[in-house]
Amino acid sequence: MSVGGTASGRWVDGALPPGVKVGEGSLIEGSLAFKRFYSTAPDALVIGEFCTFQRVQFAAGVDARIEIGHHCYLNSTVLMAELFIQIGNYVVIGWNTSIADTDFHPIDPMLRIEDAIACSPLGAQRPRPPVGKAAVHIGDDVYIGPSATILKGVRIGRGAFVEPGSVVTRDVPAGARVIGNPARIVDRPE
Amino acid sequence: MNQARRLPGDWYDGLVPDNTSIHETAHLESAYSFYLYRSELDEGVRMGEGSSAYLGTMFDIGTHGSVRIGSFTLVNGAWFICDRGIEVGDYTFISWNVLLMDSYRVSHDPAVRREDLLRVPHRRPRTPQFSEAVRPLAIGSNVWIGFDVCVLPGVRIGDGSIIGARSVVADDVPPYCIAAGNPARVLRQLETPRK
Repeated sequence: MSVGGTASGRWVDGALPPGVKVGEGSLIEGSLAFKRFYSTAPDALVIGEFCTFQRVQFAAGVDARIEIGHHCYLNSTVLMAELFIQIGNYVVIGWNTSIADTDFHPIDPMLRIEDAIACSPLGAQRPRPPVGKAAVHIGDDVYIGPSATILKGVRIGRGAFVEPGSVVTRDVPAGARVIGNPARIVDRPE
Repeated sequence: MNQARRLPGDWYDGLVPDNTSIHETAHLESAYSFYLYRSELDEGVRMGEGSSAYLGTMFDIGTHGSVRIGSFTLVNGAWFICDRGIEVGDYTFISWNVLLMDSYRVSHDPAVRREDLLRVPHRRPRTPQFSEAVRPLAIGSNVWIGFDVCVLPGVRIGDGSIIGARSVVADDVPPYCIAAGNPARVLRQLETPRK
């Protein structure tokens, strides 16, 4: 079974979740792609044309949305969305990179205890306390190297180059090259 | 060159390719390490006497790539992204989830990246063939690389040095020192052994 109708081969045992729209020529490989896909938003995952996703996990929370442009290549990437992750056109993301638009748990210790109970096997009916979320935007022509981490609220400008292993906690201007934890600019565009 | 062969007790139904040279005393845990192996050289992977490559090791090697691992070197699950040459000396420890790359596999020029990306959907299988100048890696002997470390293209790590866990090594590391951090910096010198 294939998505978008070009490549052959088995990619997942099961139907595409509702709310997923995949453009012509795009391919999603790997049986874990929708293992943690819980979003019920009408446009939960919208993918453009001629993209390739190899062993990418779309881990989308109940209200989350993920939007990806055309001609992207993502490999072994985990997209953890609770709000909105937007990826432009011609984006390359490699090997073991994680992108999250959420803090996952509250920062406040008392709220975190509440969350621990709500997340436990005994917390089925309890609402979870609010968790910090902020959309991630990745512009056109961005490269993100292997083992990088992109945290919530980050905006990566067009054509930026994120070196492998970087932990991006702040915005990256268009055309810049960043490295480190936290990621710092090493090259600015002329 | 070896004969292509199955490893005894391997869970993965694949072969160790013939264009490798694995010493008879070397230990390879699974042929799955060659899942992404595309080298067309006579010796795409060489493993010396008493060396070992455990589960999780991946030889992601392009058509002109070759990885050479010295004697008594232990690779405990590292990912080799190699389009030219990655050389590892003798008596070196490489921990789990370490990434050793001699190529970014993509151009630094967004316009060139676009051209490469336009070709990806038409390739079978869809493994990208990105154009990028490669810069070989040289890891010395008696080196110890901690877990989750990334070593970027062109880096040389001198004999006897230690790289702390989760470091990203972007610049050369001299012999006999401890380097750590992201990006990695030399933290202190080790005593140089007397010959």
